[in-house]
Amino acid sequence: MWMSGESAMNSTRRDFLKATLGASAVLSLGGAVPEWLVRSARAASTGGDRDTVLVVVQLTGGNDGLNTVVPFEDDAYARSRPTLRLPPAKVHRIDTHLGFHPRMAACARLFQEGKLAVVQGVGYPRSSRSHEPAMRVWQTADPARPERPAGWLGRMADRIQEARAVSLPVVFVGATARPLAVNAEDGFVPSIRAAEDLVLVAPPGAAARRREPGRSRRAADGPLLDHLRRTAAEARVASERIARVLAAGRNARPYPDLGLAARLRTVARLVRADLGIRVFFTELGGDGFGGFDNHANQLGNHCALLHQLSESVSAFVADLEADGLLDRVLLMTPSAFGRTVAENGRRGTGHGAAAPLILAGGGLKGGLHGSHPSLTDLDEGACRFHTDFRRVYATVIDRWLGLDPTVVPGGPFPPAEILKA
Amino acid sequence: VTFRDLDPARAWEPYEPGPDRPWDLVRAGHLFRRAGFGADWGELERALRQGPQRTLDRLLRPTEDARAFDRTHDGYEAAVGAGDAEALRAWWLRRMLTTPRPLQEKMTLFWHGHFAVSNARVKDARLMRALVATLRAHALGSFRTLLEAVAEDPAVALGLGAGVGRKARPNEEFARVLLEVFTLGPEACTEQDVRDCARAFTGWSVFRGRRRYYAREHDGGRKTILGRTGALAAADAVRLALEHPATARHIVRRLYRWLISEADPPADEALIAPLSASFARDHDIGKLVERMLRSNLFFSAAAYRQRIKSPVEFALGIARSAEAVVPTTPLGGHLAALGQDLLHPPTVRGWSGGRHWINGATWAGRSRLALALLGGPGPYGEKLDAAALAGRHGHATPAEAGRFLLDLYLQGDVTPQARAALLQGLERSGRDAKTSVRACAHGLAALPEFHLA
Repeated sequence: MWMSGESAMNSTRRDFLKATLGASAVLSLGGAVPEWLVRSARAASTGGDRDTVLVVVQLTGGNDGLNTVVPFEDDAYARSRPTLRLPPAKVHRIDTHLGFHPRMAACARLFQEGKLAVVQGVGYPRSSRSHEPAMRVWQTADPARPERPAGWLGRMADRIQEARAVSLPVVFVGATARPLAVNAEDGFVPSIRAAEDLVLVAPPGAAARRREPGRSRRAADGPLLDHLRRTAAEARVASERIARVLAAGRNARPYPDLGLAARLRTVARLVRADLGIRVFFTELGGDGFGGFDNHANQLGNHCALLHQLSESVSAFVADLEADGLLDRVLLMTPSAFGRTVAENGRRGTGHGAAAPLILAGGGLKGGLHGSHPSLTDLDEGACRFHTDFRRVYATVIDRWLGLDPTVVPGGPFPPAEILKA
Repeated sequence: VTFRDLDPARAWEPYEPGPDRPWDLVRAGHLFRRAGFGADWGELERALRQGPQRTLDRLLRPTEDARAFDRTHDGYEAAVGAGDAEALRAWWLRRMLTTPRPLQEKMTLFWHGHFAVSNARVKDARLMRALVATLRAHALGSFRTLLEAVAEDPAVALGLGAGVGRKARPNEEFARVLLEVFTLGPEACTEQDVRDCARAFTGWSVFRGRRRYYAREHDGGRKTILGRTGALAAADAVRLALEHPATARHIVRRLYRWLISEADPPADEALIAPLSASFARDHDIGKLVERMLRSNLFFSAAAYRQRIKSPVEFALGIARSAEAVVPTTPLGGHLAALGQDLLHPPTVRGWSGGRHWINGATWAGRSRLALALLGGPGPYGEKLDAAALAGRHGHATPAEAGRFLLDLYLQGDVTPQARAALLQGLERSGRDAKTSVRACAHGLAALPEFHLA
């Protein structure tokens, strides 16, 4: 149900909150204690509202699922891909038929450890194969009305803010243009390039700590001024907590020198600072170099992107795990469409249909979910879907975040059994 | 807010200064924030000298200077290429920052949020420029003329997916927005109205950036739109929507939020009724705006600080009051990051505004932008020097400068604690005057009250 449900909090989490927040911090803020902070502190002692986090890593351009989770034993695979097929000896075997791309060793390891799941054959009926419409469908989660102006996470942010639960329910992490997924009807989902963006600045030579000027209240003050004061107090607390996380992070676990890794490190810092952010959205391949849309000479580019994905996600998982935060975090990798089974004569592939969705985190059921789509019974040259992406979205919203899944229209959708009980 | 403020019989009568509501710095500052993008010190002083009526006259009536200014800027914008919306955004911000007629730009911005098509879909900055020019030309003119122009505008058609108007595929998105957003407001029309309005617009397409009518693609059949039946065409649909009584109410309500108050709950119907009755008769935007701005209500506690500044109002307010022409190309991007990307409203309903502007990230971002605007290394350089500004107005010491800035930006209306905290910082030794005053100005922009319009 909306904003309720049993606690997903474990004792590590409670200890963490006590350690970083503590009663003294609450008291020292006097009358200006922000609402979410009070709620957060209360949750730490009573196990109230959930504090789970969703991280969406969009694979921009349409990922080739067949060369991500590879059906290396399938004759049709080898036949269809004279130059792009990956040698069976090099894939990281999941079972006798499937294996991860050779550059995804880190993901294969997470899979072995039960921290990674693959939902196969994900798509939707009569799926679009043009970038703009397909991107709109996945980002609005509304194949019936892809022209609607607000994305699924933007609409979710509006609902959370309407309930005045937290100040920053959803953020976009990255320097690329803000994607439709986070466009909201009412509120504004901010873009964050680095955790430092949320640190309050002071001019050189300013007093180290001014007295909080907004403390006193007058009778005529209205709700708008109250909102400003509350947000200002929250921003101050958030800023201090991020500064503490950044200061403590000097000896933190290493991340590879890759764009996605840097963005996920920012996510990890913000999760650690515990600001109440429920969803992070970031992209891989959205920086204008074609991304996953490989119509020609796909092999090298796809290798590099999957390597970046695999190494970045694995560093992120290890980082969270070291702090006991992994059980609160679920990462998933939607795209716009898979690619054609056959390559196109230019060592590339065309726009397709179904593709696998990769999930990582501590609260999921690791392993393969659903069967691999057939490589012979095709939908205009591409794999047919059997799991609607909206099922996965709705499950994640409802069962993982504990929020209202009706932001995904067309439901109710049968839950996908991808999470631990 | 007293009962007297909201009494419909009294609320819209012209404000006359009196002992309990004097014409003072606070009221003058309030007027310039709403009718423009904030006042510099000279404007505030002149307003105090001239009184409310003459100050409003100057805001409402264009001068020859203002016309020349607009012509010059039209020339600058004419050079903007179709693919360069960022340049157009920067020119518009510069116009807002330097215009001798701020109310016109403020109202152009209002109509941009009302007829809120986005270049994300139009994908042609030249068409967006033409649309904004149309909004500007009629910003304080006749709503009938404005609506007719908007209904025929190529950017509006493309922005609502109505670039091709085939008889077989009437565009209901365009028709729905025309009725439910541009005119009547929500829940005032039926699905049949939307369907038949879409049919009335068949035949109209956009060809090479111009609207063209293809008679063979027009559905000439019988339609029923808002209670009228006949072989109705596009112009009939626009006229019927304009003349529907819900339209005047909807426009007056939106303008009330823009000029008077965003506080919830919205104004009573009884308070709105006198204005919507008169607007329904003449559709005179200028007259409506003038009545609101001259009213008792506007100068009462029911309006004072009952709006949250948009990012544009926040940033331009800092610069304009300080007489600083800051570079607007970086500013356009910074404002977009704070949630207001000019020429790219988030939805066709425009920006929701109010408390939606403010969250933990935009609060931190506003503080960062204020710091950059106030000088130092960065995209805005030293265009704005608060200490030098105070010096030009005869306030040489940091303490005097601090008091001047409090008067300039907030007309001194802050809590005693805030005043003490800001001025205390100025007396610490070991810093040069420029650094102290800059820190004080930044602290001022970080006051919650500063973010109220």
